[in-house]
Amino acid sequence: MKFITKTGLKALVTGLIRDYKVYGTVKKDGFPAYGEITDAKQLVLLQTPTHLSAKGFVFPERETLLRFNMEDGSHKPVVEAADQVIIGLHACDIHAMLLMDRVFAYGAPDANYLARRAKTLVIGTDCMPDEHCFCQSIGTMHATEGFDLFLHQTKNGFAIDVGTKRGAAILRKYTKAVTAAASEIRNMEAFEKKRAGSFKTRLDAPAAALPAIYARSDASPVWDRIGSICYGCGSCNNVCPTCYCFDVRDEPAANLKQGERVRVWDACTLEEFALVAGGHNFRKPRGARLRHRFNRKFRYLTDVFNAPFCVGCGRCIRTCLVNINIAEVTNELIAEDAKRGIIDETVRTKKAER
Amino acid sequence: MTKTPQTVPATNTAPAPQQTGPASPYLPTEALVTRAAKLTEKERLFALALLNGQNPNHTQYPVAVESTRPSGIAPNAGSTLNYLPGQFYMVGLPGYGEAPFSVASPLGASEGLELCIRAVGNLTNAIHRVPKGGRLWIRGPFGTGFDAASMKGRDVVFIAGGIGIVPMRSLIKTIVGNPGYGRLSLIYGTKSPDDLLFSGEMTEWSKAGLRAFVTIDKPAKGWSGNVGVVTTLMAKLDIDPVRTTAVIIGPPVMYKFVIMNLRKAGMRDEDILVSLERRMKCGLGKCGHCQINGVYACQCGPVFKLSDLHGLPEAL
Ligand SMILES: Cc1cc2nc3c(=O)[nH]c(=O)nc-3n(C[C@H](O)[C@H](O)[C@H](O)COP(=O)(O)OP(=O)(O)OC[C@H]3O[C@@H](n4cnc5c(N)ncnc54)[C@H](O)[C@@H]3O)c2cc1C
Ligand code: SF4
Ligand code: SF4
Ligand code: FES
Repeated sequence: MKFITKTGLKALVTGLIRDYKVYGTVKKDGFPAYGEITDAKQLVLLQTPTHLSAKGFVFPERETLLRFNMEDGSHKPVVEAADQVIIGLHACDIHAMLLMDRVFAYGAPDANYLARRAKTLVIGTDCMPDEHCFCQSIGTMHATEGFDLFLHQTKNGFAIDVGTKRGAAILRKYTKAVTAAASEIRNMEAFEKKRAGSFKTRLDAPAAALPAIYARSDASPVWDRIGSICYGCGSCNNVCPTCYCFDVRDEPAANLKQGERVRVWDACTLEEFALVAGGHNFRKPRGARLRHRFNRKFRYLTDVFNAPFCVGCGRCIRTCLVNINIAEVTNELIAEDAKRGIIDETVRTKKAER
Repeated sequence: MTKTPQTVPATNTAPAPQQTGPASPYLPTEALVTRAAKLTEKERLFALALLNGQNPNHTQYPVAVESTRPSGIAPNAGSTLNYLPGQFYMVGLPGYGEAPFSVASPLGASEGLELCIRAVGNLTNAIHRVPKGGRLWIRGPFGTGFDAASMKGRDVVFIAGGIGIVPMRSLIKTIVGNPGYGRLSLIYGTKSPDDLLFSGEMTEWSKAGLRAFVTIDKPAKGWSGNVGVVTTLMAKLDIDPVRTTAVIIGPPVMYKFVIMNLRKAGMRDEDILVSLERRMKCGLGKCGHCQINGVYACQCGPVFKLSDLHGLPEAL
């Protein structure tokens, strides 16, 4: 494990700014957010999650897929990617990005995402849960891959996990890292211990039991209840680091000669998401839309990728105006399931351990 | 301008290193409209040929959906006209976007790819204005199709409602007139006589051995045929459940009732095939719009065996 001082980090960031576009966590009007860093002073390593996730850096809210000419009919693929560094991702965010990597690489590989991702350096940092974080229950509390560098804030500076050769190279190039002293590592371990004991939100079943529990919960009264208060506003999708549904549409230029085919974030909680010609809507009730979103997180995508697609960042909980809480809802489903008497073996074991 | 992604040193964070990066799966292939014909007030038939012949760069990626359900094949770069009945293309016009349309022509058709398009919105109305000699841009084929060869030796019952006759035509024309099939029957229902598609062809299909029953939803002037929903004609089919394959394509409301009747006639879900329409924006199993519970209709469908839909309450 490596170590740099606070001044060492400043040197690293200043160096990176010279050669890359650098984004990092900042306070925007007092709110935790990602922003461009043009001076190392702007970077504020935050211990709680940003409002929006970092997904926009590799999967932008709007991106051009093609440029076309409406007169001669030519279409040119557009794959735009610039070298960039993102500083301040927490373990959950890194897990989320690893999931996105798998999503966009499977089947027909997504040229746009993969190009951006290949040019993105990730510098993670440690965190302390707020009332809504539940990564501990999901198993995404620690990242062992998916970052180039990972900074553990200690008393005198940062103990650093080096994840990749690229990470080692920037560390060498821009700053002076030494081997971390035993005291710094003890400091880091004490922090992690405190962190592990600080979670207020917990799931009452292990993540591995959730696909089966969700599969038995289609008819739960929970869906109607949360559906009756949901606005169908799509905010939960927007802030989520693993929500990646999108719309593809054309934007002709004002001269009606050229234009772009763009992809923009879409949201399965919006009313027209599953509407087809003829006016039939396959997921009209808001409860059905929320059921779909939650099932994607704990069942549908898990069936394909063998990993939960909720990383427990709590963003959708913090953003929801009517306090729909994915952790509470999941716990309700777990409780209902237990009442039905079909307790999953894994739940039983976990309960026994308590 | 087009930028190709540059090579970066391999790391364990980035996805597999790309030499030049994969080609954009969104780049469509130019197709020439070799025929454009008005069928009804709302529907036009288009025949397409690829301008540069078959695209030599066409690569197909097997879809990594680990499911017991059949998964489709996603074309990545370039498109071909090697389609199966039941598959679809993303068809676009620059400035108007693209949308999914079913193959209307039979397997191995000499006339190229035929599409039958109903004008319902922005893109479809713009496509209607494309004349013979004009161009459309396609990606595909996508999804699962019908395996007509596997129906040899069996009776086949085709049940189509509304625009569902379009993909059904592809399958019917692949089967009718060919030896080796059992009794072939079609029930086709539309709103009114004005909406009937391919009525001329239906006469030919009948001559070639297809029993065709047509019905309209409500009585109309000058209509002496059957009136009522498609299920009212199902008794006439006289199904032998053991040797019959049934194919259903129609509006969402149609499936439940038709399936109920087929089951009542003793048919097994393994022998019932359906094609399900969903909103589709990519065809690649990514945009999420086409999902039926956890299943992507653009890849694992649109053609499903009814028995593969068990456990998917959103399907029907
Ligand atoms: C597998 C499949 C096969 C199809 N085959 C045919 C066919 O052979 N002939 C035919 O005429 N139509 C077919 N459709 C329907 C066709 O895709 C829609 O009519 C078309 O998208 C409407 O586009 P628009 O821009 O003209 O309409 P819009 O102005 O975009 O909208 C009109 C209506 O179409 C719906 N819609 C919009 N985009 C989509 C989309 N991507 N997928 C589904 N519905 C959408 C909207 O919800 C709205 O209700 C098929 C659809 C699917 C999924
Ligand atoms: S759950 Fe909350 S954030 Fe999500 S759509 Fe409903 S109201 Fe909006
Ligand atoms: S579903 Fe909510 S808690 Fe889970 S990853 Fe998405 S935003 Fe975070
Ligand atoms: S059409 Fe995009 S996922 Fe199926």
